[in-house]
Amino acid sequence: MYNRNVSPSAKKSQPKLEWRSEHTSKEKKKDSHSIPILCVDCIPLFHGTLALAPMLEVALTLIDTWCKENKYVIAGYYQANERTKDFRPNQVAEKVGARIAENFSEAAMIMVDSTRFTMGCYEPILAIYDHHENKWKCRDCNVDSFEDWCEAQKITSALLEGRSYESLIDFDNHLDDLRNDWTNPEINKSVLHLC
Amino acid sequence: MANVISFKNEMRDKLRKWREDNHRNSEQIVDVGEELINEHASKLGDDIWIIYEQVMIAALDCSRDDLAWTCLQELKRQFPGSQRVKRLAGMRLEALEKYEDASKQYDSILQDDPTNTAARKRKISILKAQGKSAEAIRELNEYLEQFVGDQEAWHELSELYINEHDYGKAAFCLEELMMTNPHNHLYCEQYAEVKYTQGGLENLELSRKYFAQALKLNNRNMRALFGLYMSASHIAASPKVNATVKKANVKYATWATNQINRAYQVSYARCLL
Repeated sequence: MYNRNVSPSAKKSQPKLEWRSEHTSKEKKKDSHSIPILCVDCIPLFHGTLALAPMLEVALTLIDTWCKENKYVIAGYYQANERTKDFRPNQVAEKVGARIAENFSEAAMIMVDSTRFTMGCYEPILAIYDHHENKWKCRDCNVDSFEDWCEAQKITSALLEGRSYESLIDFDNHLDDLRNDWTNPEINKSVLHLC
Repeated sequence: MANVISFKNEMRDKLRKWREDNHRNSEQIVDVGEELINEHASKLGDDIWIIYEQVMIAALDCSRDDLAWTCLQELKRQFPGSQRVKRLAGMRLEALEKYEDASKQYDSILQDDPTNTAARKRKISILKAQGKSAEAIRELNEYLEQFVGDQEAWHELSELYINEHDYGKAAFCLEELMMTNPHNHLYCEQYAEVKYTQGGLENLELSRKYFAQALKLNNRNMRALFGLYMSASHIAASPKVNATVKKANVKYATWATNQINRAYQVSYARCLL
């Protein structure tokens, strides 16, 4: 049965990305309220059914191991829903977000609003949620949550024009063929190239 | 001249392969198909019609209504009154989010031919697109009462149930699929995932068994291998199991770990080739 493919990042209908953040010292962990978390990379997970546990657990475990080897921490969870008009966090997003928040209290949950997606990427289309008292609260979208939005916009737009999403590997692709590398080194190289 | 001919043949073969494999690489299909249609239509013989259909659907995926419209007109002209073309017209209306018009289109097909499964399934897809999951599930259940052997429909229903977190009913759909397709490792593996998600010791043990079965059917199914490891590990770690069961599951988990490591080693070696 066909349903309209809605995601911008490739043929995937629900790319899920997790943000990792760099922690350089123990002190940062204690006083993380004052120092902003910087997410430096993201890993796409699945493009099929999201509401099943086993592969999600496998993914989180493998990514967590990789993070520790690289001195990163899983700092959030990002989801884009199958239906364009559906941009609110669902049960899956909240559960995964909460799980990540157990290990990292400042975890963010990020929902993509596909209705505002354009190839030019002039506006950010992310809604960022923070975990407070077991609830997810949406951050004020007027607050700039990006390190350098102009730069990000240029790079993202260039990547889209160049159809780099055709070579994007997510965890599902990895499970289909282990040679597929979910750290996407080629795309990361392209990003650096465009900086 | 020879280059042009070989390009045309190459592209035609690519399109055929994508059709046969049911690939949904719509952007590529549009790229190749549009050129083929614009430059070489007259030389494609009867293939042109199935190509128009394939390119039209891909064009809908890529929001290329101009191209979709062109293909549709050609098909309407060649096959006036065809139900298959009517369905394509309905799909275009769906892509434009004109769901009421699309629904009317499918209703008119069903009036002429109440057994037209394609039209019924498109109506259910409209409900899904509108986010009306409960209705989609209800309609699909009704459809399956009549068309009990429709595997695609059972699978779609299992997905709808999973998205609603109704794992029990999703499991039932997958059981139907496993019964009629006992050698399909994918159904086995998905069933195991649903059982695992349901949780509880009994479901975990069932899930482990079905992950193992999926592996037996296809020893390269990595999801089944990882699933076997996860379920066996959880069972071994459960305070509710006795020492014998714990020992057995530790053994299964260890075996799975070794197999996983081997699989990675083999894949790295293949990478270097």
